[in-house]
Amino acid sequence: MNKFPIEIEKGLTTDEYILNMGPQHPSTHGVLRVVLKMDGEVVKDAIPDVGYIHTGLEKMFENRKYEQIIPYTDRTDYLSAVNNNLAYCLAVEKLLGIEVPERAKIMRVILCELNRIMSHLLWYSAYGLDMGALTPIIYAFREREEVIDLVESMTGGRLTHNALRIGGFKYDLPKDFIYKLKNFISHFNDRIDEYEALLINNVIFVNRTKDIGVLKKEIAISYGVTGPSLRGSDISYDLRKIEPYSGYEKFEFDVCTGKNGDTLDRCKVRMNEMRQSIRILEQAIDHLKDGDIMAKVPKVIKPAPGEIYCAVEGPRGETGVYIVSDGSEKPYRIKLRSPSFSNLSVLKEIVVGYKIADLVAIMGSLDLVIPEIDR
Amino acid sequence: MDYQQLLSKIKDKINILQAREDLGILNINIEKKQIREVIKFLKDELKFNHLNFLTAIDLIDNNQIEVVYRLYSYETKEKIVVRVKLERQKPEIETISDIFRTAEWHERETYEMFGVKFLNHPDLRKLLLPDEIEMPLRKDFFHPDFEKLPEI
Amino acid sequence: MELIKDILYNTDKILKDFYNWAYKLWSSFNLPFFILDIVFYLLITLAVAAFLVFNALFIIYYDRKVAAKFQVRYGPNRVGYKGILQTVADTIKLLIKEDINADKVDKIVFFLAPFLVFIPSFLVFLVIPFGKGLIPADLNIGILYVLAITGLSVLGILSAGWASNNKYSLIGGMRSAAQIISYEIPMVLVILSVLLLSGSLKMGDIINAQSSISKWFIFVQPIGFILFLIAGNAEINRAPFDLPEAESELVSGFITEYSAMKFAFFFLAEYTNLFLTSAIATTLFLGGWQGPFLPPFVWFIIKTYLVITLLMWFRWTFPRIRVDHLMEFSWKYLTPIAFVNLIATAILVKFI
Repeated sequence: MNKFPIEIEKGLTTDEYILNMGPQHPSTHGVLRVVLKMDGEVVKDAIPDVGYIHTGLEKMFENRKYEQIIPYTDRTDYLSAVNNNLAYCLAVEKLLGIEVPERAKIMRVILCELNRIMSHLLWYSAYGLDMGALTPIIYAFREREEVIDLVESMTGGRLTHNALRIGGFKYDLPKDFIYKLKNFISHFNDRIDEYEALLINNVIFVNRTKDIGVLKKEIAISYGVTGPSLRGSDISYDLRKIEPYSGYEKFEFDVCTGKNGDTLDRCKVRMNEMRQSIRILEQAIDHLKDGDIMAKVPKVIKPAPGEIYCAVEGPRGETGVYIVSDGSEKPYRIKLRSPSFSNLSVLKEIVVGYKIADLVAIMGSLDLVIPEIDR
Repeated sequence: MDYQQLLSKIKDKINILQAREDLGILNINIEKKQIREVIKFLKDELKFNHLNFLTAIDLIDNNQIEVVYRLYSYETKEKIVVRVKLERQKPEIETISDIFRTAEWHERETYEMFGVKFLNHPDLRKLLLPDEIEMPLRKDFFHPDFEKLPEI
Repeated sequence: MELIKDILYNTDKILKDFYNWAYKLWSSFNLPFFILDIVFYLLITLAVAAFLVFNALFIIYYDRKVAAKFQVRYGPNRVGYKGILQTVADTIKLLIKEDINADKVDKIVFFLAPFLVFIPSFLVFLVIPFGKGLIPADLNIGILYVLAITGLSVLGILSAGWASNNKYSLIGGMRSAAQIISYEIPMVLVILSVLLLSGSLKMGDIINAQSSISKWFIFVQPIGFILFLIAGNAEINRAPFDLPEAESELVSGFITEYSAMKFAFFFLAEYTNLFLTSAIATTLFLGGWQGPFLPPFVWFIIKTYLVITLLMWFRWTFPRIRVDHLMEFSWKYLTPIAFVNLIATAILVKFI
């Protein structure tokens, strides 16, 4: 226990104590441990302890060829595998100077947005459980199943799809994909309203999340928080808008922001983002034209020496890949910039002074994925 | 604003060892003792308020370790990469974790992965790794459990 | 057919006849009568215990089915007809599991706590009027007895939390104590206003005071009924007031360290308490066992299960309340409203 820099004050009336939250705890969503200094039910200090599922991905990458790395990137943020694939593939394509065909770009957008919906739906259901509402998970999983089926029909995988290739896609869309997608889009907006009625607009929920865990602008920026957690603090930063990649410049959508940066705002941003994703999907169907799905990629991928950092807007924020190439078949160094890593580090700034129930609510609203932190 | 303009803004303030453009982004190499000054200048004067990441690269052939800071500005949408070369035997550099709070964890990660010691860091413990593994991302890292992959 | 009807409608009479017959038989042997009384009370206890266990088994099944309906899924449907034996299978599993005693627990208290939780809820059955005359003992302090005994269960929960020697359990136990004590007050106030109307603490008299449907206290005391449901739901620690065992915060609260048989006792107590709260709500507000066409016992069960369904509806819809909101809710809203309700009732009774 002395490993953690926590000092316990001995008072006359109450004693502070250390509470170990995790690694096995229902609401840390994975093997995350948070060491809490508690005074009764009030959190005085919170120190996250990560690394329980560190797999040394960055070291592994150094011993893999460029095309072999794609499946590994699936495993970092396993809830939105395609976004990680995309960050990596974009980086390698830029290094090689490959231009991806138009159709493949739009297909990537479709997959990314479906992944975003999948991820936000899972966040919604898990957050419901965190808040003690046991029903939302089933409702959200009903639609999530539809999305997963869609993605499965396209890529063959349900969670870690290994969907993208450097230069485009291996396989084209299945014939009835667009029909099924349209079918899904047609009713999903109503379902989001249903989710909001069930959980987000509930009085108890609003009472528990409003003005709780306020993440101020300056703190959010200083801690490198990105994604919906940053946008909740009223900073309109979305890589899809600012540096459009993979043809996002063609799409019309709004960047959802919150006002106060409290937990409720972060929740609402995510719910609204799902609506924007639907908008993007609708446009993507119109943009989708026949054509090639794979660029001309050399048989042996040997980028020239150099380096590249490529980031995409994942469901949790800036998902970046930094590649240093030394001109060989294997990358010299790959650094994964994972959004949850920075988003977790801000935890202690926003939970101190709140109760343990708020800690659960705040941690849930940051939408952490642990394998992404540990890599 | 292209990188030339950006470079001209920075030039007179800081002593740049080497500057180059890499895919449209300005890379500057600076001396290690200047790092806090430079980062502070970039943050306060040029509004580079977002640290994308901080990491290191093991340049084993030059017997150096290069620490890479990548900055972004929410206001001007500019990007810049700051690089510092350290000697490989005893890599030490001042922390920037009080300027960018996110650097605290990134520095801890870099410390355990490359052994770069960040001076004045508030809490320089290992972040991800168990105690017995030291500096795995260095190129000469060896572990008895390693198995060589079959060549394809 | 006639016989069944007779048994259902005139249960109390048959029981009385049986008792008289046994009494006569006993007096012919010239034995002391207190033995007969003890035998009779033992029989009643056995009957209540049997009812309690089977009822709890059914409520658990019913809860899962209701939850399934709310969550657009099927619920248990494999064991037995429509899964009706699922809880039996689960209970057997619980009973034959290893009973784990953690190393650092306070052995005696840890062992006693499940019983301390369960026994009060069993004792309350003494004054539950299942039907006309079907009440184990119609005490003249009936409802007071209920309040006194249910207040004891907090002792069990607190000692379970304490004895587990686990921080999560302790927080759960403390939360539970605070919660039960603060929700006792609005509950007592609501019951008081009902008592003003009935004029008696006796369960039988309370039911008799609601002789026709227009006299049911739910129509006279609609606010009281709502307050009673909320406070009662909080007393039995069910969602949205399930803070003592809040899974996402405290793992499982005071039952974290319990397993097998002891865990089963907590579970049994939870569902028994659910039944009891609904039964008391039925007695106080819904006219107890009274109703046309059907036998009294059936009416009682139907009404109780209606209230249970209502509580389940709350449980499967709402998120959990935070601990300080819970206290605020009780002290800032429920208690004042209950006071106003009480005063209004008193004025009503006095002048009208």
